[in-house]
Amino acid sequence: MTQGRISELLVRETGRPVGGKGMSLIVATAGLGFLAAGLAARRPSGGPHTPSATSPRKREALRLSRDGAAIMGSSVLLDSGMEHLRGDYRRDAMYAAPLAGAASMAASMAEPRTGSPGKLIEGVHVGAVATGMAGMGFHLGNVLRRPGGLSWDNLFYAAPLGAPGALIMSGLIGMATHRMARSSGQERRHGRQLAALSAGAMLAETAEVALLHYRGAYHDPAMYLPVTLPPMAAAGLLLEAARPRRRRRGPLRLLLRGVEALGYIGTAFHALGVARNSGGWRNWRQTTMAGPPMPAPISFAGLGKSGRAALDLLDIADDRLGEDSK
Amino acid sequence: MTGPFRTPYPGYDVLDKWDSPSYDDATREVLRARTTPPPRRFLSEARFAVLAALCDTVIPQPRARPVQIAPFLNAALHDDRGTGTRFAVMPPDRDAWPLGLDAIDAEAKAHHDGTGFADLARPERTLVLKEIDAERLRAPDAWQDMPAQKFFRALVLKQIAQFYYSQPAAMSEIGYGGPASPRGYVRLNAQGIDPWEAPYGQWKETDA
Amino acid sequence: MTRPIGRRAAEAETDPRAVNGCAPDVFSRDGTVPMREFPESEEVDFVIVGAGCGGSVLAAKLAEAGMSVVLFDAGPFFRPLSDFASDEYEQEKLYWLDPRVSDGDDPIELGANNSGQAVGGSTVHFQMVSLRFRPEWFKSRTKLGYARDWPVDWQEMWKYYAEVENALKISGPIRYPWGPKRGRYPYRAHEVNEAGLVLARGAEALGVDWAPTPLCTVSAPRGKSPPCAYRGMCKIGCSVNAKQSMLITYVPRAIRAGAEVRDLAMVGRVETGQDGRATGVSYHRGGEWRHQKARNVVLAGYSIETPRLMLNSATSRHPQGLGNSNGMVGRNLMVHSNHAVWGEFEDEIRWYKGPPSMATCEHWNYVDDDPTKDFDGGYSFMSQGPLPGDFAGTLTGATGMFGDELLTAMGKYNRMAGLKIVGETMPAPDNRVTLADESDPLGLPRARVTYAFSDNDKRLQRHSLDFMSKMLGAAGGRNLLETSSTAHLMGGCAMGDDPETSVTDDMGRSWDIDNLWICDGSLMPTAGGVNPAMTILANAARIADRIVAARNG
Repeated sequence: MTQGRISELLVRETGRPVGGKGMSLIVATAGLGFLAAGLAARRPSGGPHTPSATSPRKREALRLSRDGAAIMGSSVLLDSGMEHLRGDYRRDAMYAAPLAGAASMAASMAEPRTGSPGKLIEGVHVGAVATGMAGMGFHLGNVLRRPGGLSWDNLFYAAPLGAPGALIMSGLIGMATHRMARSSGQERRHGRQLAALSAGAMLAETAEVALLHYRGAYHDPAMYLPVTLPPMAAAGLLLEAARPRRRRRGPLRLLLRGVEALGYIGTAFHALGVARNSGGWRNWRQTTMAGPPMPAPISFAGLGKSGRAALDLLDIADDRLGEDSK
Repeated sequence: MTGPFRTPYPGYDVLDKWDSPSYDDATREVLRARTTPPPRRFLSEARFAVLAALCDTVIPQPRARPVQIAPFLNAALHDDRGTGTRFAVMPPDRDAWPLGLDAIDAEAKAHHDGTGFADLARPERTLVLKEIDAERLRAPDAWQDMPAQKFFRALVLKQIAQFYYSQPAAMSEIGYGGPASPRGYVRLNAQGIDPWEAPYGQWKETDA
Repeated sequence: MTRPIGRRAAEAETDPRAVNGCAPDVFSRDGTVPMREFPESEEVDFVIVGAGCGGSVLAAKLAEAGMSVVLFDAGPFFRPLSDFASDEYEQEKLYWLDPRVSDGDDPIELGANNSGQAVGGSTVHFQMVSLRFRPEWFKSRTKLGYARDWPVDWQEMWKYYAEVENALKISGPIRYPWGPKRGRYPYRAHEVNEAGLVLARGAEALGVDWAPTPLCTVSAPRGKSPPCAYRGMCKIGCSVNAKQSMLITYVPRAIRAGAEVRDLAMVGRVETGQDGRATGVSYHRGGEWRHQKARNVVLAGYSIETPRLMLNSATSRHPQGLGNSNGMVGRNLMVHSNHAVWGEFEDEIRWYKGPPSMATCEHWNYVDDDPTKDFDGGYSFMSQGPLPGDFAGTLTGATGMFGDELLTAMGKYNRMAGLKIVGETMPAPDNRVTLADESDPLGLPRARVTYAFSDNDKRLQRHSLDFMSKMLGAAGGRNLLETSSTAHLMGGCAMGDDPETSVTDDMGRSWDIDNLWICDGSLMPTAGGVNPAMTILANAARIADRIVAARNG
């Protein structure tokens, strides 16, 4: 069994795998640190690295999208932090996922910059995408190594193939948004791109939820919500990406707010799900790991936001078109 | 012949989890009650001494407070608890045990010039039991047609071993998780152990 | 045996709980649910004796069809959440500890091995392996050339397997590798523990299929049941109610539908009238003998108690016991060979985590033409996870080891893994239940169980030990140890098409007495190479539908 150095060291010292220590290490230091960094960088500095070309409306729309990407980053931080704790941070590489999630969260929170700060931000996003892709490779390897190989049971219980996708999406949306902030105009093109990206992310996320809720036998009818609402929203976004139509956006925006709300409601549902496990919250050390993952649904909130940002951009483009034709 | 047993899990004690979600009220009540062994009621004092020596031979316990086994087996006979099975070749449990304890004592005396089983040192007791398990009997009449090996394995060994290994001290020394309700386990594969389980065992090079 | 056995909730073992219009609420610590009660003088439609796999399903379905039902059980009515401890010795209160006399060339062990005594029966302590019979086994004489045929078609049985699997939300694989296609299981399979992965690695090394075992414990919440917490103590009772035993499924369903349950009620005799038909039962409850009138009496006490009760109910009109004019009652009793191979592994397997048998291999149930297969019938085998006391009993019984040798062997508990078969045995008339010449504390003659393996059974055992040794070795096991044991009971009152060679017809009705029925594992004409629970349940569901249809028709 391949073991990381940190894990080996801990086992040698304590006779145990990483236990609770990894979680506090990652979340407390990295998470809070990056949160602070992100918050600090969030203030529009007006300094030399502020992109000057964007209109205030576009900036607002892109901020919404950045919030979405940041939420997804935080979901990755907490979710992979917890799931990798369940895997006892057996390999050192397992620390990369929550760290990349935290960094991606901070980078998305930060106001877009030009020059070297901008390069840093984009570098973080590229790093998140790369980490996500490497993670998928690792997870696939983990699935294939187990008896049964690419079987349903390993899809359910081995390292989840889809999970690193959230990191990829967080990085991609963060990256795209940052790029868009650096050029003025082009709202229509950017809106369509962001709509397509958000829709793709939503569909990927739905596939992951469908698999896991299937594993949970859809024992509660509410478990069907996150596999019905988001695909509908994604379909709407794809339509917008193909052929933007203003009159569609009202209902679509409502749907996207629904998807966002699902992120928050889902967290509450998962908290109830934890309580339904043996021993409930009193037995949190087992039930938060064995029950439904609390930090997972929140990524829908992020996707709802970035979807709405896409619509906002398209609105801006339409408004400008209207003004031009006057 | 193996040397004295050394636990691979020194320092691990399932009772440390007493106040954790691994224990529920039912388990605490049962274990608390078991710290007070029942009084001797069924077997005579002499037979009880043989039973106690038998327990000490089957499960040597070089610890400050050994797990009490004999009083519980005695109480089970007194209460006519039963096991669900009475082999046709054996008398009922409440007859088989006194008969068998006397026979073991008779075997000891036959081997050791009249010294009873309870008065022998553990190595001698061990040899007497090995002879019985192999049906090499020196006091065959004492068994009155009861098959010695069957008595030794199906009643003596089984009941002593089963009782001992359901007690916390035994669970601790083998690294078993111990009581687990409502909290069970999360990490089911060899790569992981839960924080409330025993740490990895200390295995000698020769066993690992 | 004298109850109480347990310390916790000892009063449940001495004083009936289902009284005064209330039954214990099994999902609470001390609550009750309302329960209908019937006067003893009222002739109820059905008295059912035994609240295990057969009786509970029948009671629920008959009560739901509007019939008046009283369900008796000799054991206590437990509330798992507050009454079950994580303690092997305490939990012996779940077993039938009153001795049966065990005789024959290969006398079997009873009690913990195969006999429960509690409302819910053996499902309170079974290890939840939920497999179906291979279709051909229902016609094993015609199709495979051994033993005898069932009076039932496999497709009908498979329909009822699906019904009970859904009622118990069996957690099983999406695609089952053996036999004809079956729908996916209602709940997803559980994550396979390391002990199960040992089987999986061995199977892959030997090129045979394996599967996560379909288990009768939920992998996701269900109503008031939490998902399995993987505490690994299924054999001593599930204290979190994840296990879908009869106690928390069909029994509450029966009560909701208007059936009455009488716990701590030992039925000692089926009463018959001058016309030879059953009129009710005499039972011991609350310190006295009592009598319940009934239009129909169903025996569901499993393969020892059902024949014992029939034999104990002899009258001048039924001198050989009820339903026994052909002398078949108690005959053709079967067990499963439960032989095992155990080995030590490099890694700590920690087989105590999770249900004991999370992976299974049914290869030898479905292979007929392998040149090494030198026996009739089949066997499945599963990964193992015995509790320490249980495993210590296995070690000492097999080897006679004690002292430091035993302590050292048990010290490797965390590094052990094992494979154990459920091996089909052949029905033989001389393997049987009769009455012993000694009585239990109520004065009822005890059962004498006579059993011997056939040569075919022994060939199957040898084959399985060789195959499992190879597999365990291929998975990395060393210092292998073989052990032999038995599990489960089947037969004793076989159903059949021929009144000369069977006890009941295809719906469990006694050939001799038209209002005396049997509905439990004793009906099984053959044993099959899988755990019997699902087959008993499915057969009970089928019999219930037949009874309802007959009444309505």
